[in-house]
Amino acid sequence: MAQLSTIPQRGGGPQPQQATARMKFYVDAKRCIECGGCEVACKNENNVPYGIARIRVVTLNEGEPGETNIAIPCMQCSNAPCVAVCPVDALYHRPDGIVALNKETCIGCGYCLYACPFGAPQFPKGSPFGARGVMDKCTYCAGGPEVAFSERERRLYGSNRIAEGKLPMCASVCSTKALVAGDAEEVAKVVRERVAARGAGGGAWGWDTAYGRGGS
Amino acid sequence: MIIGMNPAENHPISMQHILTAKETNRAIIISVDPRFTKTSAFANKYVRLRSGTDVAFVYGLINVILAKGWEDKKFLAERTYDLEGLKKEVAKYDPKTAADITGISAEDIEWIARTMVENRPGTVIWAMGGTQHNDGTGVVRTYCHLQMVLGNMGKPGGGCDVFRGHDSIQGVTDVGGGPETLPGYYGVGESAWQHFSKAWDVPYDWLVSRFKNKTMMEKPGFTVARWYEGVLMDTKELGQDVNLKAVMFWGHSTNSMSQMDRVKKALEKVELIVDIDPFVTNTAVLPDRKDGIYVLPAATNYEQWGSRTNTNRDLQWGDRVVDPVFEARPDLAIMIDFAERFGFKKQFIHNMKGDWKGVPASMKNVKMLPEQTFEDVLREINLSCLSIGYNGQTPERLKRQHEWGHVFDIKTKKAVGGPVDGEQWGLPWPCWSDKHPGTAILYRNDIPVSQGGCGFRATWGPKAPDGSTLLAGRGSAPPGGPNEGYPAEKNYATDLTQEAIKRALAENRSPYGNGRARFNSWNIADPVPIHREPIHSPRPDLIVKWPTYDDVKEHYRLPTLYKSLQKPDWVKRFPLILTTGRVVEYEGGSSRERAAWWLVELNPEMYAEVHPKVAADHGLRHGDYCWIESPEDLDDRPSRVWVKVKITKRVGPDTVFLPFHWGGMFEGKSLISKYPEGTAPYTIGESANTITNYGYDRVTQMQETKTGLCRISKPKQA
Repeated sequence: MAQLSTIPQRGGGPQPQQATARMKFYVDAKRCIECGGCEVACKNENNVPYGIARIRVVTLNEGEPGETNIAIPCMQCSNAPCVAVCPVDALYHRPDGIVALNKETCIGCGYCLYACPFGAPQFPKGSPFGARGVMDKCTYCAGGPEVAFSERERRLYGSNRIAEGKLPMCASVCSTKALVAGDAEEVAKVVRERVAARGAGGGAWGWDTAYGRGGS
Repeated sequence: MIIGMNPAENHPISMQHILTAKETNRAIIISVDPRFTKTSAFANKYVRLRSGTDVAFVYGLINVILAKGWEDKKFLAERTYDLEGLKKEVAKYDPKTAADITGISAEDIEWIARTMVENRPGTVIWAMGGTQHNDGTGVVRTYCHLQMVLGNMGKPGGGCDVFRGHDSIQGVTDVGGGPETLPGYYGVGESAWQHFSKAWDVPYDWLVSRFKNKTMMEKPGFTVARWYEGVLMDTKELGQDVNLKAVMFWGHSTNSMSQMDRVKKALEKVELIVDIDPFVTNTAVLPDRKDGIYVLPAATNYEQWGSRTNTNRDLQWGDRVVDPVFEARPDLAIMIDFAERFGFKKQFIHNMKGDWKGVPASMKNVKMLPEQTFEDVLREINLSCLSIGYNGQTPERLKRQHEWGHVFDIKTKKAVGGPVDGEQWGLPWPCWSDKHPGTAILYRNDIPVSQGGCGFRATWGPKAPDGSTLLAGRGSAPPGGPNEGYPAEKNYATDLTQEAIKRALAENRSPYGNGRARFNSWNIADPVPIHREPIHSPRPDLIVKWPTYDDVKEHYRLPTLYKSLQKPDWVKRFPLILTTGRVVEYEGGSSRERAAWWLVELNPEMYAEVHPKVAADHGLRHGDYCWIESPEDLDDRPSRVWVKVKITKRVGPDTVFLPFHWGGMFEGKSLISKYPEGTAPYTIGESANTITNYGYDRVTQMQETKTGLCRISKPKQA
């Protein structure tokens, strides 16, 4: 992946896609206004059931100076702890960096829940004996390991906007562009612009955890 | 300065621009509000204003600015009327006095004044937090006065930004949604009816014959805020000799109206209720009655097409996305259907340029109107609403912009190249001809009229009653024309051939003249605004010095109370300020949003925001239920609502905040059994407006729902 970020940017005309992109989220904690558009759009797009949040906006210090909102999807980490701990390899990296889930392999053990620094894994059930059901999480609107656009994929994972050449629904509807998704290089450009405008801090919440200090 | 407004919840998309201004322009954001809102969280400076004291706060700022000599002297001398009148009033509001009234410290008032001066041009943004007061008109005018004193009017980055709440609500105002005017702000006088009889191509006498008599024809009607008194009050008190017998709600819900118990009584007394909406609203379930309620399903904006007018006077063409689902029909089909049954369909769909194309002979069961129907509606507006320059936004031009949207510059909103070259996005009115680019910024005098420049309107003639001139001074006119004040072009608003407008444009003059903005509006209550304590004020000491208005015998056909209800002892029994507002998940009466489970999941239940101290003093914990009770006002008992407590420091220890979107419950009782089968929303709850207090703006009769009094009572057994 590392060599991708060294491809020089050209100022000329539109460029053809040269290599597989590496997908990232940019969660700008200085811009999110907790409108909830991402949460609602995600549920509508992916038929997410009541009680499951593939993305959730968290507010800190509500009603006081320093009030901050953070939209938390699955960050699709580079060195993803969930992938590392999954005992059945239900979680894996796609070539474009998206952390995918195979719901038919998942045994619902919940290791990923404890490993994830963002609270992304969701479980449909709670019971006194610990049965949680099969894990569900943000797919980056990239469906799952099924035939793209099939009814089966839709039922298990929701939509597959990536296969349609579109960005995740949450970022597409973000009212203040606090949640930015896309190819790492494009996202990094947005971060750089905002850092430059603000003088300090891109508000890129969770980046070090998700992508490491080098931002690979 | 964002005052009385919370765009992060009410206009989320606009925050994109506000945050960009903050980040890239280093704009300083000042948030003035009784609540520390989600918007306040993004402000550089937040000050907590006591609800209903906006006039005193803004006058405090102007007082500082004038005392230091920071005002824009050139602008004031050339383009305003009666600065002396304003000075006399403002002198009473030194920072210490203003601080006592508003609860904002004198230091903060001085800091904000200095910041506004040092960062010119600045803008003032407001919404219903400014208008829903007994002196709401005064409040809004003082915001404008501040911008005039600072010389911020008519400049990019300056001006007054009122953010409106719904799709095309500005358009509704423009086409005469209010009871005091026909479309285009022509009023309801004889000349207005004469003008429209020509535009609609129907005989004036026929129009008169539709009314009881000419007097009633020219009398402003009831307002949406108080229509129910037209049902309930004795006809001896009313400005008409019969009570209202039928009421029709069209895209409006009763849970956004104050005095819910009176609304309920009225809904039980009228003979006929018609509720036209995509969803069943609170109106249909509120009254205790078994018949006489008709629910007509209307199509949503995605199921019909046409133009809509935005907050900033932009017009946009909207396409139909899907055909109307279920039994829904476009609003206009329902309207033509009514016209047919009332016997004036022929006149309704007819205008000077001929009949609306292809509207069927009988509207029975018509689900979709033919192409061109909505285009013909806009053409009729183009033809008639000349007063505000609605003639240039033809359907053809709007559709062309729709198609060429990509060539508009994202910052200037001006098109570069293509057939739309030079046009402003949305052709904001006034747009004086089919060549005019539209007026993006009003009152801008540094560009020619042909490119969207204009002065202040010379609506009030050349001279004020005191004899001083109302025409702008030399050097103040948009370039290219006569560089001085001039009156409006004769008959420009009523000459349907548009010759008058063309004449003015040919000489680079604005058709409505180049006048002065008035600090003193001699023709309305409080010519120069003064601070009026809310009718239900928590400060008995201030009521003495800053009382509300005298009672009014007839205002929009109704007697309206002011002083006789402003009792100093209310606050002893009702010690907390009650204010209301919107939350991001819901909108208005919210019958639509409460029927969407994703939104309900995010915000499932009606609640009251209460400060931790107030909650503790009442023995309430987060999530407990309590009663909130209001003063009895016109009825003999307090109204009350049964709500959950949300403990938060958003509100101060003197204030309780209620969101007003819920409905389907009344004083603790569920109304869910009254919804037609399958139409009940996912969440029902008490409506805040069951307990909002009596009080109406002295000019517009807007309800005073942003400031009232209440008390919390903890139930005996929780």
